[in-house]
Amino acid sequence: MKIFSHITSDLAAVFWQPSRMASSYIREHRDHREVGVFLCVLCVLCGSWFVSSSALARDELHLYNWNNYISAETVARFETQCACRVVQDYYSDNEEMLAKLAAGATGYDIIVPTGNAMESLIRQQALRPLDKAKLPNLKNINPAYLDTAFDPGNRFSVPYAYTLTLLGYNVEKMRELGLPTDTWAVIFEPEFLEKVKGRITVLDSQRELMAAALKYLGYSASDTDEAHWKQARDLIIRAKPYWAAFNASSYIKELTVGNIWLVHGYSNDIFQANLDAQKAGRKFSIASAIPKQGAVLSLDSMVLHKTGPRPDLALRFIDYMLEGSNSAELTNLIGSGNPNLDALRYIKPEIAQNPAIFPDAQHQVNLEMLRDLNRHQRRVLSRMWTEIKLR
Amino acid sequence: MSKKHAELSPAARLTKWLVSGSPFVFLLLFFAAPGIIMVLASFRYPGEFGGLAPLTADPGTLHGLTLETYRFFFSDLIYTEIFFKSLLVALATTLICLVMAYPLALLIARSPKRSRDFMVLLVILPFASNFLIRIYAWMILLGPQAALSLMLNGLLGAFGMEPVHLLFSPFAVLVAMVYVHLPFMVLPLYTNLERHDPALLDAAQDLGANAWQRFWRVTFPLSLPGIFSGSVLVFIPVMGMFAIPDILGGTGDMLIGNLIKEQFLGTRDWPFGSTLSIMLTIAVLLFVWVAAKLGSTRGRYA
Repeated sequence: MKIFSHITSDLAAVFWQPSRMASSYIREHRDHREVGVFLCVLCVLCGSWFVSSSALARDELHLYNWNNYISAETVARFETQCACRVVQDYYSDNEEMLAKLAAGATGYDIIVPTGNAMESLIRQQALRPLDKAKLPNLKNINPAYLDTAFDPGNRFSVPYAYTLTLLGYNVEKMRELGLPTDTWAVIFEPEFLEKVKGRITVLDSQRELMAAALKYLGYSASDTDEAHWKQARDLIIRAKPYWAAFNASSYIKELTVGNIWLVHGYSNDIFQANLDAQKAGRKFSIASAIPKQGAVLSLDSMVLHKTGPRPDLALRFIDYMLEGSNSAELTNLIGSGNPNLDALRYIKPEIAQNPAIFPDAQHQVNLEMLRDLNRHQRRVLSRMWTEIKLR
Repeated sequence: MSKKHAELSPAARLTKWLVSGSPFVFLLLFFAAPGIIMVLASFRYPGEFGGLAPLTADPGTLHGLTLETYRFFFSDLIYTEIFFKSLLVALATTLICLVMAYPLALLIARSPKRSRDFMVLLVILPFASNFLIRIYAWMILLGPQAALSLMLNGLLGAFGMEPVHLLFSPFAVLVAMVYVHLPFMVLPLYTNLERHDPALLDAAQDLGANAWQRFWRVTFPLSLPGIFSGSVLVFIPVMGMFAIPDILGGTGDMLIGNLIKEQFLGTRDWPFGSTLSIMLTIAVLLFVWVAAKLGSTRGRYA
């Protein structure tokens, strides 16, 4: 063991480098959303995470929202209207938000979780029921987005915006290669894949990718039958050699620069990719399409957290966000889907008429929201996912 | 030993405690405590919404302690397989780093004293920019429109071979792993090589050893401790690395680090994630211990 003494002396010489790397991990990982969550979870394990809920002297509304999920003007106008301050905190992943709350974070008035995460919060009894008398603008919401399985009767939640998981593609390339864009077959069937080998990415998400495969096979996106999962797994493994990567973050950039031609991705991201491509003066455009077999819809809703000190302000904010003009600002900014009927007239026509953001009745029927899995199912799926990644 | 202690003055003893105290507390707080928590977590059930199931609860719901994560781990070869794969990647990275770093370290150590510090600074310079930015830079360097890809594919095309994708491949992962960890190999090697007495080489030359013999019979055996510490410093972080395969890897480049990350995020299965982490720690320690054993036996014969 004498040899270890050499290591210690050498370690001292280079010790500052790993520690520096660790800290830079934390700082620069905004793009790489999982790491924040991962560190969060680690901190929970260490039992050292602590967020104080200080008593507030002045009027403040604490909003815990997705990154880049509200327009600054909208917030500024609300602040003038209520003569209060909106304090914002951000997450980039439902799991990150859940982990932070599970670790005891308090003091958030409003949170904007996706359906299945919201269901978790409801079952944990972490939310405050809504006083609908204070929400006259609730009538603006399209009834199709109310009364979901996650929150029957909307006792706790008000729909905010939605994202679709669909196909995004380089319009010129797809036309040139003569590939269809209205079916999941284009990312699963070798006859199509051969033409775009190495130019496709799919989401690095167990649930989303399985959902696409299940939909293509004609099952529900939330199907939990193991036999169906196995079929989906085999379909994915067969298509995998043609895919460039599992990617949930940098595919936006790869689409924009033209390295990747076809993606399985989120509608907001693909909207962003096209904006970036146009801004950079690329000779192609990026579009998205809902496959005819159906797709996953993620509906984000505003909810009141039990520990929020200002439910009165929170309700006022929710009602304010339910006004069509305010709600439309978000859609105009990031191309998110909008469940607010009154907002439609304020939305830019090119977005309002985009069928991949506001699907027609025929596509609407095939959209599904993902239900949460129980711990046993999660472990079985994770086992399959490992197999998919390893084969 | 005790005699030596008795000779120390109280002030010296206090200094000794103060000096060794802070690293001790550091290790206790940031290594031992999380380690113990991790071991405990691995014997629990996963919570319904993530986290851990309670230790005590109504009968009928999952609670208490269990060995199920360990059973799950050993019931399935796929997890052993992924360990094996990570091990291969780590070994390959270590080996490539060694081959690339040794000549460099030797060059620095044999340079005039004045330029050494400057050269070491150059080795450390990449750390001045952020780790992730450097990895993202490789995305551009290896991208299909990049000069490297165009040149290589032009060459392959000339011989009538299929074009290759450099980005999102095991190759990209290996390149970035080597790139990131190279300084960790260079610095210990350099610290070792710098300490060598040049007189030994002169003596060997006087005794008729040629350049190769001087290296192989004198320099190399003396540098073994440096090689070992450099290898450990590269091998251990590579075993747990998850960011590089995530960013640069293709569809088959899952390593053990990614699997552990996945347990805490996608799957919300903390107990199994903890079990995997423990297995990783054991595997790494075992491997390094065996390597050290082998190293010291060989050292005796040298």
